[in-house]
Amino acid sequence: MTDRTTTRVPTWRLLRGLMRYAPWRYAANIALWATMWLMPVIPALITQAFFDRLQTEPGFNAATLIAMLVAYGFARLGVMVLGMWNDIHFAYRTSSLLRTNMLERVYEMPGAQAVHESPGEMISRFREDVEHVEEALAWTADLVGTLVFSIAAAWIMLSIDARMTLLVFAPLVVMVVTAERLGGRIRRYRTEAREATGQITGMLGEALGSVQSIKVAGAEKSTLVEFRRLNEVRRHKMVRDRVLTAMLESVFWNLLNIGVGLILVVGAGSLSDGSLTIGDFALFVYFLDFVTDTGYFVGMFVAKFKQAGVSLERMAAIIGDAPPEALVDRRQLHLTGPHPEPVPTTAGGEPLRHLEVRGLSFVYPGSNAGVRDIDLSVPAGSFTVITGRVGSGKTTLLRALLGLVSPDGGEVRWNGRVVTNPDDFFVPPRAAYVPQVPRLFSMPLRDNLLMGRHDDEDALYEAVRAAAFERDLDAMPHGLDTLVGPLGMRLSGGQVQRTATARMFVRRPDLLVIDDLSSALDVETERTLWERLFREHAGATALVVSHRRPALQRADRIVLLENGEIAAVGTFDELQASVTGFRELWTGEEPAAVP
Amino acid sequence: MIPVRSYFKLLVEYLRPLRLRVALLTVVLLVSIALQLVNPQIVKVFIDRATSGAASDTLIPLAIWFIVIAVAHQAFSVASTYLAEDLGWAATNEMRARLADHVLRLDMGFHKEHTPGELIERIDGDVTSLSNFFSAFTIRVIGNLVLLTGILVLLWVENVWVGLGLTTFSLIALAIMLRLQLVTVPWWKQVRATSAKLFGFVGEQLGGTEDIRANGGVPYMVYRFTAILREWLPEQVRGRMGFAVLWATGIWSYVIGTALVFWIGSVLFGNGAMTLGSVYLVFYYTGMTRQPMDQIRGQMEDFQKAGAGIARVEELFSRTSVLGVDGVRHLPVGALSVAFDDVEFAYDDAAGDERVLHGVSFELAPGRVLGVLGRSGSGKTTLARLLTRLYDPQSGAVLIGGVDAAHVATEELRKRVGMVTQDVQLFRAPVRDNLTFFETNGHGDAHLIEVLHRLGLEEWLATLPAGLDSQLESGGGGLSAGQAQLLAFTRIFLRDPGLVILDEASSRLDPMTETLIERAVDRLLDGRTGIIIAHRLATVNRADDILIMEDGRVVEFGERVTLAADPDSRLSTLLATGMEEVLA
Repeated sequence: MTDRTTTRVPTWRLLRGLMRYAPWRYAANIALWATMWLMPVIPALITQAFFDRLQTEPGFNAATLIAMLVAYGFARLGVMVLGMWNDIHFAYRTSSLLRTNMLERVYEMPGAQAVHESPGEMISRFREDVEHVEEALAWTADLVGTLVFSIAAAWIMLSIDARMTLLVFAPLVVMVVTAERLGGRIRRYRTEAREATGQITGMLGEALGSVQSIKVAGAEKSTLVEFRRLNEVRRHKMVRDRVLTAMLESVFWNLLNIGVGLILVVGAGSLSDGSLTIGDFALFVYFLDFVTDTGYFVGMFVAKFKQAGVSLERMAAIIGDAPPEALVDRRQLHLTGPHPEPVPTTAGGEPLRHLEVRGLSFVYPGSNAGVRDIDLSVPAGSFTVITGRVGSGKTTLLRALLGLVSPDGGEVRWNGRVVTNPDDFFVPPRAAYVPQVPRLFSMPLRDNLLMGRHDDEDALYEAVRAAAFERDLDAMPHGLDTLVGPLGMRLSGGQVQRTATARMFVRRPDLLVIDDLSSALDVETERTLWERLFREHAGATALVVSHRRPALQRADRIVLLENGEIAAVGTFDELQASVTGFRELWTGEEPAAVP
Repeated sequence: MIPVRSYFKLLVEYLRPLRLRVALLTVVLLVSIALQLVNPQIVKVFIDRATSGAASDTLIPLAIWFIVIAVAHQAFSVASTYLAEDLGWAATNEMRARLADHVLRLDMGFHKEHTPGELIERIDGDVTSLSNFFSAFTIRVIGNLVLLTGILVLLWVENVWVGLGLTTFSLIALAIMLRLQLVTVPWWKQVRATSAKLFGFVGEQLGGTEDIRANGGVPYMVYRFTAILREWLPEQVRGRMGFAVLWATGIWSYVIGTALVFWIGSVLFGNGAMTLGSVYLVFYYTGMTRQPMDQIRGQMEDFQKAGAGIARVEELFSRTSVLGVDGVRHLPVGALSVAFDDVEFAYDDAAGDERVLHGVSFELAPGRVLGVLGRSGSGKTTLARLLTRLYDPQSGAVLIGGVDAAHVATEELRKRVGMVTQDVQLFRAPVRDNLTFFETNGHGDAHLIEVLHRLGLEEWLATLPAGLDSQLESGGGGLSAGQAQLLAFTRIFLRDPGLVILDEASSRLDPMTETLIERAVDRLLDGRTGIIIAHRLATVNRADDILIMEDGRVVEFGERVTLAADPDSRLSTLLATGMEEVLA
């Protein structure tokens, strides 16, 4: 991962951002839960009254006290229901804000880096990590409530016996100190347990994503052995984490009972001489219980807060260059009420006259693979083919140009002006892109093509034709409404590629960027596709990675890459005549025609 | 409906192998409960002595005993947490593994319907909610039921009327809780189902961020994400309200229980049947029932989640592969013959999918190489999928080495039939594991390196920072598609199969790299049967026989040389097209 994981994120500031996102609901949460916490003072006083009267006038009628208890029951019920209802609405809004912000940032991340973490590991940040933050936030209300209760309880107890009150509150201090001391360890254990889970979901995600490969390789057993191993690792980390938490809780409970014991020791004399009534004793024990809860809550809040910090760090690590604060950027979520139709990202501005690349470099971290010092000039309306051997950097060049990876250096100029933010700049209608292995999504073909646009049926069909996909489409009983399986698996590789090509054409971009268009196509389909591409591109500018002859022969200009650098630029005939590396590239395909 | 029987069945099934630890846990738990019950008795004696004016030095030892017992109780309580957690994770790990195994073996039709993200949620998410069921359930629910019983027994001992009153009350309260709990389980099930959908969506999106962004689709995808969030909100609210219902029963059990003590206590103390210490003991014990009741009630939420989880886990276990039972027959050694006998096939016949293969028949002798040609979508890839038994035909038979593929043990079949697919899938794991699929024995590094050399990957291997230990990125980042393809070749080489299927295996290789592996393919096909599914004519030059598919039918099959020589054959026409392409 990047350095980001080790950078501390401002946990408080982010939590405050979330509180401010729904301030009224948050305020209501505080008010309701503070009331909820404060309420047990009432039965405490009723209990005290009961034992006092029992001691002083045996045989008294307890009906009034019982009626008060029942009234208390109703009140508590009402506050609880309101509190729960408000809390879920608040929590849902804030967690949705985090999830939506994260999702949007992930789209903006350079593609190669977005999948740096395995999908399962990424998903766990959307799932568990958001839940942790949500929990910490909910506990802030409990924290306030518990403090309010402690103050009220202290006031009542002080009026009875100051010395015993100190005994009741002494555990509180011990608890907070303990929690603080164990905080670091809790955080570490929790992080490790979290990571172990991430590894499992990551591994599982990859295995399920490539289930066909595993089946075909008969590798189910060995995959499972690895899965079991990771699960065992997690078991140890989880048990360690849970036991530490249990010990912490146990310390708190112990303090409660030790507190009762101390009250017994200290109160022994007072109870004997009657200066302390059984009612007072009952009240102290009752409050001790809740004050211990307070300590527990303060301690747990510290722990939850730290966990939330870990989770926020993990979340911040996947939102690219954006600061951690971007996680809580305000936005309208439209969770209720009307859900406005999306407006596709579009770029305005002048049409392309000239695209220029100067000194563009990108090397994959930790390897030599990449492109270095690329100079390229692409006039409007031209057809440029980038070619070269496997691993020569063709795909990387396109990605660097489009800003899908962050270049190490160099610049891209559109009509002479430097493009500062290529990933935001190269969107329709300026540019559209067909990756080498395009992805489709689990939704109807139509939605896959449109992705929120509103083109009519004719425009769609035209794009489908331009991509030489119409025969396949006609063969589908549901046509454009055909549901594409997860990752478009129901379509063959060639069909996915042409669907993605149609997706590009629908957008009518100035600049068509295509990576290895015909890699999964048969001869006839490929020929049709090239023909249509050359015809359709009329007016548009095309930048195409290919090593296919029909593309190279028709290209206005061919850029030959070798080891990430431009080895030659020219037309087919020029390169054929003068460049050995180019001719070499052909020796493999020469016998194609002659069986 | 709360699947009590399923709970119990699961518990027994997964805990049986761990019975020693279960026994230990039981003992620790019982001691911990006994210690908890002793302390209020000390308080009772303490109060009675204090109110009867005993000297405080007879009271202090009682107070100290109280503290000692409290500490001992906590020690046992932590020990039981450790044992229960360990047990819970051990049991659920077993369940995860079995579930993962089951899912990996389900047919491809199943995998096409379920995204990896959704399945992760079901294998790990649902089972994790069950781990609470294994650990917390045993400790909190069973332990607290025992504690509750202990308290009630001691109340009977204290006074029959008190015992009767509070037992009746506790039973009614518990019954109501369990009853209400039933209502809310389906609510949670729905919450989890939508959760799986939401995170399944996220998972799928992550694989295609480039496609989405570069085509301006981000707002649309966020819109779809929001649509699922909108669906989830009311379900979450309802789920949480289910929890509120359970909490309400907790509040009322406290109110009514305390009221009961006040009433009975005031009456019995008034007529002298109880001492003040006894009334306080009853009050204290009733307060103590709050803890087990609260805990049981609190566990109901996890229980509800587990209930939803358990139903979904069972549902997943009950999914059977459409491939039916595994075969038992063996394949002959050496190169394998291949025969299709009048094969009809549709991917999802039940759903009325169109047939993608119609009466396909052909035979390929062992050791021969078949080139399969046809437009994309003509059924070529389907042939390969039937040969690796990712699917079974609806009628007709696929024979490998003379044995019906459906009768061969799948594991053996897939060991002997090697396939390189269009889309090479790489794991975020060391290169070694990517080559061997985590198989730890059988392949020494020397062997792996030798094969990599044979494929011309030595240069690439040399650039890796840690050789075979180097981590590959998920999806093969930093690796070109061609290199990925070469890795896939290596995987096959390592398995020494009797039939090799190359499905457009060389489609992403530039001609130069293709030349590079020609020799390697020669070596791979040497002494083996080969099927090369190709879109380009050059790739089938090495084929002995040619099969041409169109719309799921075999339109031409024969020896390549013969077909090429026949000017009326489709192969000749295709070759001519190829010529045109070159000449254009």
